[in-house]
Amino acid sequence: MQRNTRRVLSRAGTLVVTLGLMSGSAAVAQDKPTSENPSNIPPSRVIAGRPLHSPPKMNAADARKSVNAFITWAGESVVEEQSTARRALASAAKQPELVQAFMEEILAAHESGDTSRALVGLGLLGEMRTYDGAKFLVEFVRKPLPTKGTVIEGELQEEAQQARLQAKAIAGVAYLRNEEFDREVAYQAGNHPSVIVRAEAISAYLWNRGDSLEARKALEPFVRKEERLYLDRVRRVTGEGADAFNRKLTAYLKAHPEVQAPDPVRKDPRPPEEKPNTFDETPPKF
Amino acid sequence: MNLKQGIALMSSVLAFGLATEAGAVCTQTAASQADRDLWNTHGCWQDFFLWQYKAYGLRSGDWSNRGWNAACNVNLEFPKHWNASYLLTYGMEDDWNQSFHGTEDYRATAEARSSNFHDSLYHSITDRTDVFGTFTPRFWPWDTDRVETACPLYNPNVSNSNPGSRAGDYMHEGWHAYFDKYNFDNGNTGGHRPGPQGACTINGCDYFYFHGISKYPFGAMWENNGTASKFHSPNQVQVEFLCDVADQSHWWIPLSVRQTAASDANARAASRFINGPGYTCGSPRPW
Ligand SMILES: [Zn+2]
Repeated sequence: MQRNTRRVLSRAGTLVVTLGLMSGSAAVAQDKPTSENPSNIPPSRVIAGRPLHSPPKMNAADARKSVNAFITWAGESVVEEQSTARRALASAAKQPELVQAFMEEILAAHESGDTSRALVGLGLLGEMRTYDGAKFLVEFVRKPLPTKGTVIEGELQEEAQQARLQAKAIAGVAYLRNEEFDREVAYQAGNHPSVIVRAEAISAYLWNRGDSLEARKALEPFVRKEERLYLDRVRRVTGEGADAFNRKLTAYLKAHPEVQAPDPVRKDPRPPEEKPNTFDETPPKF
Repeated sequence: MNLKQGIALMSSVLAFGLATEAGAVCTQTAASQADRDLWNTHGCWQDFFLWQYKAYGLRSGDWSNRGWNAACNVNLEFPKHWNASYLLTYGMEDDWNQSFHGTEDYRATAEARSSNFHDSLYHSITDRTDVFGTFTPRFWPWDTDRVETACPLYNPNVSNSNPGSRAGDYMHEGWHAYFDKYNFDNGNTGGHRPGPQGACTINGCDYFYFHGISKYPFGAMWENNGTASKFHSPNQVQVEFLCDVADQSHWWIPLSVRQTAASDANARAASRFINGPGYTCGSPRPW
């Protein structure tokens, strides 16, 4: 974010330091970065060298280790390997040791602070659609949000971080498509303390029920009055063409004229820059 | 010199003071899985980082103990910085019928050169932990606007320390530069409106200027007609970019990168817009 949050500070010493600043910017050193073992192979060749569709095997005897390796593979995998991952997960779902290992790996990733890895783990566990897994996800969603930590732009970072993971977890609960667990999703759609999770609960609940009018009606009483807009919110998914998306958007804007933004506000122009940077070398060939 | 310019000067002066006094660096112990997964698609590609530092106007002094001379150590800041640039330079599919915007839009927003998108800028780094990034406009006409990214985009235990979120911040800060080029005022709370207000739950809020797909030709994201009907805010550009990473990136982009981008996009869309939420992106199917 941000422009000049520090403007209130330091009215003194302006001129003196300005001279320093000027000399600083005049002496723009452009020495090259270096490294010890760089690669000269273009990525297109690196990518072509990676075998697709060969996930590490998961086995109950070595549950933690093999699930750990599987999560690593899955994070690196690409969209066309999703079906391969799903097949492996369907068979792992029959082995409680593996389901348990996924839970432990998720908690370990969460504790280490690696949100990207925890997200991958939560997605995989949700995809497994097991009762125990869903129970774990519910408990995860219900964990109280942190109340202390680092505030970034007015948002408690630890809280936002956990809410993002809980949003992924609630999507997994909704994916089970089980009445008991759907009640939890509906409950969280209105009651979770973070709007990030409430929003995802609403979207996941509706999507898993085909975005039907019935689903919308069933969910509406749970949703906070001021957040009913979320029931109509536009979702864009992979592969959706402009016509389909734009139709949804037009309908949304028509139904909710209140989301129309006001016109932007002008400010005083600043003098034009004197030394524009015109660097236009094209990036290296992929 | 008008008052605003004077104020801008003080701000950049203070920032300069901080930058020189800061011997500290961000946490350099590790990289997130998403950073590593993307990294493995190039294995530290020298041709690219030798291009990137010029394209982003990086200055060696700013990055000296942050991987300038260890450009292949993904635990350090410069490698993480160029890893994010690699994502936005090569990773987008640019499907006219599906993407919000194209690579040329995202590159022009992030990169240093002066264009329709913004005046010249350069990327630096700050040890602040209370922001993801900052934009400081030039004071002297011969000076250059500055984008700084901050530790939360590099510390491996913060959720935004991944290539999509980092590049998303290049969009956000680059769009503050856009506001300065076209003389728009986005508010006095760090370049945003005060919050919470409306559907925005944090202290710096934007409006979302909804637009459909195929509404802006690729390369035309900068266009505006001075009204809400053709306009973008910084958080909006960021969300649209993150959505395009999540849903419209090339087939070889790792799923960890896509999923973290979707997560960041959706969290922002729900919490940073007065007239929100913005769109939700990514499939609600868990995997
Ligand atoms: Zn747009």
